[in-house]
Amino acid sequence: MKILIITNQVKNSLNSSFNNLLSCVQNIGNNYTTCDVVVVGHDLNSLCTKISTYKRVAQVLAIDSPVLANLLVENIATQLAAIVRNYTHVLINADSFGKNLLPRIAGILELSQISEVIKIISPNIFQRYIYAGNIIQEIESFADVKLLTIRASSFIPDLELRTEAAPIIALEYNNPISSKVKYIKSNLTDNSINLSNAKIVVSGGIALESKENFNNLIRPLAAKLNAAVGATRAAVEAEFTSNDTQIGQTGSTVAPQLYLAIGISGAVQHIAGMKDSTSVIAINIDANAHIFEYADYGIVADLFDIVPQLITLLDQKGE
Amino acid sequence: MKVLVCAKRVVDSNVKVRIKADGSDVEIEHCKMSLNPFDENAIEEAVKLKEKKLVNEIIAISIGTDKCVETLRTAMARGADRAILIKTDQDNHEALNIAKILKIITLKEQPDLIILGKQAIDDDANQVGQMLAGMLDYPQGTFISKLELNDNKVLISREIENGTEELELSLPAILTADLHLNQPRFIKLPQLMLAKKKAVEIVEVSSLKVELSNSTRTIKVKDGEIKKDCQMLSSAAEVINIINNLNLN
Ligand SMILES: Cc1cc2nc3c(=O)[nH]c(=O)nc-3n(C[C@H](O)[C@H](O)[C@H](O)COP(=O)(O)OP(=O)(O)OC[C@H]3O[C@@H](n4cnc5c(N)ncnc54)[C@H](O)[C@@H]3O)c2cc1C
Ligand SMILES: Nc1ncnc2c1ncn2[C@@H]1O[C@H](COP(=O)(O)O)[C@@H](O)[C@H]1O
Repeated sequence: MKILIITNQVKNSLNSSFNNLLSCVQNIGNNYTTCDVVVVGHDLNSLCTKISTYKRVAQVLAIDSPVLANLLVENIATQLAAIVRNYTHVLINADSFGKNLLPRIAGILELSQISEVIKIISPNIFQRYIYAGNIIQEIESFADVKLLTIRASSFIPDLELRTEAAPIIALEYNNPISSKVKYIKSNLTDNSINLSNAKIVVSGGIALESKENFNNLIRPLAAKLNAAVGATRAAVEAEFTSNDTQIGQTGSTVAPQLYLAIGISGAVQHIAGMKDSTSVIAINIDANAHIFEYADYGIVADLFDIVPQLITLLDQKGE
Repeated sequence: MKVLVCAKRVVDSNVKVRIKADGSDVEIEHCKMSLNPFDENAIEEAVKLKEKKLVNEIIAISIGTDKCVETLRTAMARGADRAILIKTDQDNHEALNIAKILKIITLKEQPDLIILGKQAIDDDANQVGQMLAGMLDYPQGTFISKLELNDNKVLISREIENGTEELELSLPAILTADLHLNQPRFIKLPQLMLAKKKAVEIVEVSSLKVELSNSTRTIKVKDGEIKKDCQMLSSAAEVINIINNLNLN
C-alpha cells in the first residue's frame, strides 16, 4: 500500500481540508499507515515545513516554481501523472482545484477515478453520493492506482504530530509549460468567513425577495453569529448574492455545526449541500415546506418578522 | 468554426429514484428521462455563438442505448445541426470509457470547441471533460460561467471557491458548463417538430475499435436521505436559546 495526497496552497496557508485527508490514510490502511504528500505551487517552504510535522506523513515532495503560482492544470498534470503511477491510492480534496486536476491526470494515465468519497470501507471499497445525495453508492475499484477525490467534511481531521519532522524532497519542475492557456486574473469575493470550514452557516433563499433584503437581513445575522453566508441557487440566480455562496448539488458542500435555513424550501439539490450539518434550524412561512424534514428545529413564521427580531436579540446579548 | 456538444440522457431532475428490491442498484426503468441539465447549458452556449455567427456547425453526441435518440432530438430542437449516437447496450458507463469514445469522435470530427456539462446529475462524477482534455492534451476550462470567443482563442470565467478565475485558452479547447453559464431557452413546438425529421447518425460502438474496460463495480446502493425529527419553536427568543445551548465555540 502506497498512498499519496496531492495538495496545494490556499491563500498562503495549508488547504484546510488537508488534515481531513490525513485521516483517510488511516482508514485505507491502519494506525501505522503513512503517506507521501506532493505539494504544488510557488513559495512552498513554510507550507512544506508545516506538512512535515504530521505523524501520518512519511515524506513531502515539493514541486515549487514561479510558473506554478496560478496552478494551471495544463502545466502540472503531466508531471504529477508520472508521480501518481508509483502509488496504490491518490487522494485530493474535492474542491475546485481537485475536481479540475485529478480527472485530467486520470485521462493522461487512462485510469478511472472515484469522485467525492464520503466513506472508506476497505482499501478497494468506497462510498459516495449519487443522484444529488438521495442515494449512497458503495463502489469497488479494481484499478491499479485508485484515484479518489475526497469530500473532506465527511472525515474528521487527523492532527497527530511526529516527534521529528518528515523529510522534504524538492522535485525539479519538469512539466512542459503549456502555450495553450494563459492565466488572466481571479476575481475574489471578500466573504470574510470561508464557507467550507465555517462553524455556522446562515443561508437565505428566494424568499428574501431582493438583494437589498439579503444584505439587510442575512448578512447582519451572519455577522452577529460569526457565520459564513450561504444561499440557494434561486437566490443566486436572482443575483441576491454571488455564485460562490451557492450551496447544493452544484454549489458548495458544507457541514457546519449549525445551519440556519431562511426562506428555503428544501429542494433535494439544495439539501445535497448541507445534509451533513450537525444541527439545522429552519425558518419558513409554510408549515409543509420540505426543509422541516431535514431540520432539528423549525419555526413557521415570516422571515421578515423573525430575522430582525433575531438580530435585535443578538445585539442585546452582545451588550 | 465547429462545436461538439455532449448530450447525456439522465433521470429527470424532478424524479426521486428508487432502489431495486435487492439493493444492487437504482431502478431507472420507468423513470422520466431528460437531457442532462448542464448539457442544456452547453448546447445553449453553442447556439448563442452560432447566432453571433462565430460558429457554423453544432454537432451533438450521446453515448448509450437506442433511447438516446430522443435525447439527441431534444438537442437538435435546441439548435444542434446534426447528431451522432454512439450506440452501446448499457444505460451508464464509467466516465473513462465515455472520454475514450469522445476522444475518437474528436479526432474524427476535429471540432474547435467541445462543450460538455460539468457533471451528469445521475452519477455526479464531474470527470469526463477533464479526462478528455488530459487524453488529448487540450487546454480545459471547467465549471465556466462566462465565455467569449474570438478568432482562435476563447476567454472563459470559471467558478472557484471564493469567486471566479479568468483564463484564455487557445483552440481547440474543452469547456465544461456550470448552470450559471446561461439560461437555456424554452423549445418551441415547431423546433421540436423539425428536430423529429432530422436524422441521427448511429454508430455502433464496436466499429470504433476502442478498448473499453470497467475498473469499478457498484456493490450496492442505499438510501442517502437524512430525515430528522423537527422540534417546532414559536418565537425568536426560543431560536436564540437553542443557538446558545448548542455550545458553539
Ligand atoms: C440540475 C440542478 C441543480 C441544482 N443545484 C442546486 C444547488 O446546488 N443549490 C440549490 O440551492 N438549488 C439547486 N437547484 C435548484 C433547486 O431545485 C431549487 O429550485 C432551489 O433550491 C430553490 O431555492 P429556494 O428554496 O430559495 O426557492 P423556493 O423553492 O421557491 O422556496 C422558497 C421558500 O421560501 C418560503 N417563503 C416564502 N416567503 C417567505 C417568508 N416571507 N418568510 C419565510 N419563508 C418564506 C416558501 O414557503 C418556500 O418554501 C438545482 C436544480 C437543478 C435542476
Ligand atoms: N453517455 C454520455 N453521452 C454523452 N455525453 C456524456 C455522457 N456521459 C457524460 N457525458 C458528458 O460529460 C459531462 C460530465 O459527466 P460526468 O463526468 O459523468 O459527471 C456530462 O454533462 C456530459 O456532457
